Amino acid sequence: MPETKFIKQLRRRLVELGCPLKRMRRLVREVAEHREDLKQAAMTEGRSQAEAEARADAQLGNPLVLAEQTMVALRQSSWWGRHPVIGFCVVPILMAPVLWLLLFCLELSLGFALGYGWDLRKLPGPDNLAAVRHLTITVVCAHCVAVALVTLFFCWFARQAAAAFKWTVTACVICSLYASFSKGTITPRSFQIAFSWSPDLVAGAVPLLIAGAIYFLLRRTARHFLEKVAE
Amino acid sequence: MKKTNPSFLNGVPELLVLRLLACREMYGYQIVDEIRTRTGEALAFGEGCIYPYLHYLEAQRQVISRRREVDGRNRNYYKLTVRGRKRLDELTAEWNRVTTGVSLLMEEKYA
Repeated sequence: MPETKFIKQLRRRLVELGCPLKRMRRLVREVAEHREDLKQAAMTEGRSQAEAEARADAQLGNPLVLAEQTMVALRQSSWWGRHPVIGFCVVPILMAPVLWLLLFCLELSLGFALGYGWDLRKLPGPDNLAAVRHLTITVVCAHCVAVALVTLFFCWFARQAAAAFKWTVTACVICSLYASFSKGTITPRSFQIAFSWSPDLVAGAVPLLIAGAIYFLLRRTARHFLEKVAE
Repeated sequence: MKKTNPSFLNGVPELLVLRLLACREMYGYQIVDEIRTRTGEALAFGEGCIYPYLHYLEAQRQVISRRREVDGRNRNYYKLTVRGRKRLDELTAEWNRVTTGVSLLMEEKYA
């Protein structure tokens, strides 16, 4: 299909609005084919090629408006897109039990992997400080991994729903706050998951780092795509 | 659909598209053209607006699409699904209810 100004504008605007590339390619292809049909119809009526192209563009309307409409339709087609406030502000908070369960399972798995398991004789006592330190690091790592997985889960939903990037950031900030004030602690013969007023800055930074990484990844992908198309 | 349509016409684009696709699979240009010609140009989709709408219906699993080559041209053809047919039945029943009601009112003589 020919690369007309209309098609270029439509593609650029869709990329700017954060349309997933697969969807964008499909829509652009369909609109380009539609334009070709309109052009052929106009030429059948006796118009010149230039006149037919101008008429086809006029019939298709403003590419920027079409891109906006596409994004609205895309957002309306999923629950996350229709209810972003609930989906990206409330649900992350309600995900707390899931996060806790994930954290707990991860810590248990890592405990098993490190060879502590359920065997009480192998669990570190007050006299085994090296083992306590070992498990403490494990708990912190498991906490960060659980937070990262929950954050990635919401980022994935935001991307699938073609939600504006602000919703990805919102979900990441809520996950960050949650991660900062919830923590798993381990002391000899005791394991706790609790909320604390002293923030865990490492765990809290994980969702923000993910948001930053996604932002740069999306920007780079969009830039590379547009450069490739422009060639 | 024109923006000036009153709110009670919400659902009409969906009804029209599903009704057309119930007959046979079609591509976007065909759907727009058929709506325009078969409604005597009383109703018309914006040429580009049909695609966001078709993608929405596809996401709702009311239609499915496939790439097909006809007369040397590759296009995305849309077809009604079982869910789409059920939705069409619902919309048709609702449409009949509304038009019957409006007809009864319109048939009343002026005092």
